[in-house]
Amino acid sequence: MPLETADRGRPVALQEGNVPRRRMMAWLAGFGLAGSGVLAALSNWFFFKPRVTYGPSARFSIGKPEDFPSGTRISRDVERVCIVREGNRLAAISTTCTHLGCIVAIADTGFACPCHGSRYDQDGNVTGGPAPKPLPWFKLTLAPNGELEVDKNTQVDPGTYFNV
Amino acid sequence: MSTAVKDPAPAKGPAPLWSALRELPTNVWSSIFRNPLPSTDLERASTSFTNFFLHLHPVKVHRNTLRPGYTLGLGLISLFLFVILVFTGVLLMFYYVPSTTQAYDRMLDLRSTVAFGVFLRNMHRWAAHGMVALVFLHMCRVFLTGAYKKPREFNWVIGVVLLLVTLFMSFTGYLLPWDQLAFWAITVGTSIAAYAPLMGKQIQFVLLGDTTVGQEALLRFYVLHVAVLPAVLTLLVAVHFWRIRKDGGLSRPEDGEARGAVPAGMVQAGVVKMRIEPAVESAKRKIYGLQGFVRGPFTKVGNVPDDSVYSWPNLLMAELFVLVLTISAILVISLVFNAPLEQPVNVMHPPNPAKAPWYFLGLQEMVSYSAFWGGVGVPSVMVGLLLVVPYIDRGAAGVGRWFARERLLANTLFISLVILNVIFIVIGTFFRGPNWAFVSPF
Repeated sequence: MPLETADRGRPVALQEGNVPRRRMMAWLAGFGLAGSGVLAALSNWFFFKPRVTYGPSARFSIGKPEDFPSGTRISRDVERVCIVREGNRLAAISTTCTHLGCIVAIADTGFACPCHGSRYDQDGNVTGGPAPKPLPWFKLTLAPNGELEVDKNTQVDPGTYFNV
Repeated sequence: MSTAVKDPAPAKGPAPLWSALRELPTNVWSSIFRNPLPSTDLERASTSFTNFFLHLHPVKVHRNTLRPGYTLGLGLISLFLFVILVFTGVLLMFYYVPSTTQAYDRMLDLRSTVAFGVFLRNMHRWAAHGMVALVFLHMCRVFLTGAYKKPREFNWVIGVVLLLVTLFMSFTGYLLPWDQLAFWAITVGTSIAAYAPLMGKQIQFVLLGDTTVGQEALLRFYVLHVAVLPAVLTLLVAVHFWRIRKDGGLSRPEDGEARGAVPAGMVQAGVVKMRIEPAVESAKRKIYGLQGFVRGPFTKVGNVPDDSVYSWPNLLMAELFVLVLTISAILVISLVFNAPLEQPVNVMHPPNPAKAPWYFLGLQEMVSYSAFWGGVGVPSVMVGLLLVVPYIDRGAAGVGRWFARERLLANTLFISLVILNVIFIVIGTFFRGPNWAFVSPF
């Protein structure tokens, strides 16, 4: 209020002695708030990213090798995987369409997706439609109890078979 | 009633109980409503800004903003649809359980045991579709009348965000019935998110809470649908409305043209006299408060040749008319058409073709050409263009008129994009059969 009278003629910045300190406090407070905002956003990301999922496990048994006679292609829709056996060689090919996640159906030529018309050959290579990538192959092992185990967390190169 | 405003003369001695009782109704009424039904301009102004529910309105609005043919009431209809959605949505929440084992049964219960269950679900579903359509049409109106120009640039940006929130609201609600349509539409929709660069797979995982659509996804979408997104939408709508006033009211046709386009019967409070008077002269006699001292592009009192009318009753009558129209339309549609409910979720058998909701079918059609460009690239570019258009298109000519000749280029580009989008939606809706193969609907 008394700026015009008492402090007339002095530079504005010096009219109040504690302005620099006050400004520094404001900067620090603002910096602190912005920092905690960033931290809050980050921690929210980790909060929303579940550490444990409640859905079906990515590693699961599918039965003994004898359950899959040579020459069969058995699609297991619950686990979204197709078990292929040729002679003594076994493989697990994903049946989740690489386009938009529909379940591909087994067709004479390989696989066909009902959602957007993607088509794959017997080995999961794209032969038509909008799918951008071939169907992945999953790691197949024999558990100590003699049952085959699929690990959907581990992909193997297409053409990599498991010999029994 | 009008006697209630003046305090009665102070009673001499203790007031007798019987007179307090006799005046009880009047006193209660006047304690609730500060003003009698207005009969003068001062009372009309007072009614607007002393009532909590009415003070959202300015005391006066420019008469040209009331022309039905200019705004078509599209924004207001969107708001009323949102109000209907909140009311019906809260009622539906009383019977809904976000569980994969119970959700679909609860849908069937709405049909069989809940009183008015089908009707409430119909209202909610059709109002949701209507809101998506009306918000989009409102955006078209604002663009084609050039109403996003300075000083309303940022309100346009908020409007674009509101459109996106509306779409996300609708998308999250789509999963909740847990039928085949819901499951596969969300499977396809969230897979589109996975095509986003760098973080795509992570975003999909966080959105679903799992690698596939399941219980976690249903719970997350439910919380987003009934709590998070409505709160965000309400906040943004509040800012959107507040900024209308702070940006100087709605954009409008210029004063000179189309005078008298408002039917004479709609304007009841003194307009004609004030328009003729010099502004300063009229300002002297006016009674106004703080807003008279505020500088800026605000709705001003007394310093412009006045062509405004009182919000009570002119604006309120128009709003009431739109409200009645909106409610009747939703009621009639909900009586005639039932909201679809397909078979319960069967993870093993996707319907063929699996289609998204209609407003995403244009997106799905583009996705069938290229998942990245159709699902992420083109939509991002479109939204980006919408966000920056008020900062690129800076010309001031042609604001406040439909299809202004000065805005031929901008309007042509905008209409072309809208038509392109509509064509994609029509193709996706009617011309796509099993395996997304081209079929003829005829």
